[in-house]
Amino acid sequence: MFDLALLWETRELILQGLWNTVWICFLGCLVALSLGLVLAALRLSSPRLFGYPVACYVELCRGTPLLVLLFLLYYGGPGIGLRLDAEIAGVTGIGLYGAGYFAEIYRGGFKSIPKGQLEAARMLGISPWHALIRIQIPQMLRLIVPPGTNQLIILVKESALISIISVDDLTKNATTIVNQTFNVIEPYLAVALLYWMIIELIARGGYALEKRLANRQPRHVAQPGDTAHAHG
Amino acid sequence: MPTADTTTTPTAATRRTRGEAIVEARGIGKSFGELEVLSDIDFRLAPSEVVCVIGPSGSGKSTLLRCLAFLEPYDHGSVHIDGQLLGYEERGGMRVRARESRIDAVRAPVGMVFQHFHLWPHRTALENVSEALRLVNGLSRRDAEAEGMAMLERVGLAERAGHFPESLSGGQKQRVAIARALAMQPRVMFFDEPTSALDPELVGEVLDVMKQLAHDGMTMAIVTHEMGFAAKVADRVVFMDQGRIVESGPPETLFRTPRSERLQQFLNTWRERHID
Repeated sequence: MFDLALLWETRELILQGLWNTVWICFLGCLVALSLGLVLAALRLSSPRLFGYPVACYVELCRGTPLLVLLFLLYYGGPGIGLRLDAEIAGVTGIGLYGAGYFAEIYRGGFKSIPKGQLEAARMLGISPWHALIRIQIPQMLRLIVPPGTNQLIILVKESALISIISVDDLTKNATTIVNQTFNVIEPYLAVALLYWMIIELIARGGYALEKRLANRQPRHVAQPGDTAHAHG
Repeated sequence: MPTADTTTTPTAATRRTRGEAIVEARGIGKSFGELEVLSDIDFRLAPSEVVCVIGPSGSGKSTLLRCLAFLEPYDHGSVHIDGQLLGYEERGGMRVRARESRIDAVRAPVGMVFQHFHLWPHRTALENVSEALRLVNGLSRRDAEAEGMAMLERVGLAERAGHFPESLSGGQKQRVAIARALAMQPRVMFFDEPTSALDPELVGEVLDVMKQLAHDGMTMAIVTHEMGFAAKVADRVVFMDQGRIVESGPPETLFRTPRSERLQQFLNTWRERHID
């Protein structure tokens, strides 16, 4: 029998886990989104200087599991004088790891903007900085909403790994309840439902943002002529 | 270097106020890897002069215009805008690429219109035209938009000010692009095949705007396949082939009595296509 009473009795632990998961994911994703943008902008603005280091960083993030990064930060950190609380190690780990993926998502968005638009800006004397802020980023953001939402969802789901470095998040607290009560189904099902709710919120937020941006801007970034071949 | 000195039409004569060239290129060369696309090009644009550059596809005419604007860095020679070297500067006896801000400053008198318009699709027609006025000239939104509206009126598109590029026809897009360039009050305009991406019935509206500009005394360099336009509007026509200027002169001379075999072939092909 599904024991609802058990969930009611352990509600405080579950809600505490939910709160920890929410704020750690929120801050981690914020770091990932911001650092990713900086990395992508550096790579595009000065490929000679930043292209290789940023590419290495991206490959490192994609090539190593988040759990290994979390272990390095939390257990390996003190070895080099870096003592982080488990929660801060979680935020940092999610942020650094996600930044690698977001850098690529942003780069893809930037690359989809026809080069000619920037040449037009340059011929008008618009500085590269203004072109980035006023021409590239607004168009890029619109393009990256669907893959960006997807990546945020993946990060939230992967955040369950912070339970292994002793953060009292949803997964860890559910496991605690399981260990105390020997009831496996109820706590994990409740936690699954809560994760699903967080993710559904992100997905709906993504759709809303997509719709909002689509109302303001035309559907296609590339103009019909942009794909045609130049002559002469 | 060939000039348009023998032209006889009064309009052209009044235009050709001889003095310092606004744009002067000497011996410019450009290669993409092994492929040499421009070779030893001399090009001069005097105030109020209209020069059309014609030639087969791949002859280097668009690359020439892009080098004159330093959108493509030229490898050899020099380009001067208003007497100032564009793109490079001397440092310790060496020629090095100039800082971007310096390039922008030297290039400021030049406006450019592209084959594919390159409007910013997330901005309305008016925002496209007024953006640089705000960002570069520091105008307030209100002043920039007032100026932008004046430019859109000049190209006959005031009623389309609030439209996004997606909802404009090709001809209208190109006219917005012209208004956008004109808003910065350039002294010389470069047109890189401005009508090549347009449906035939939309070409006229763009050419009309360009004719009006020429009539108003704007200095213009136009890469084009529109021979009729070149014949009517240009003071001088430059024919390019394989990265070199083969022939240059007033349109009536160039089109009626081409000296080079290559230009004769080019004109014959054009006539066969357009008169049949």
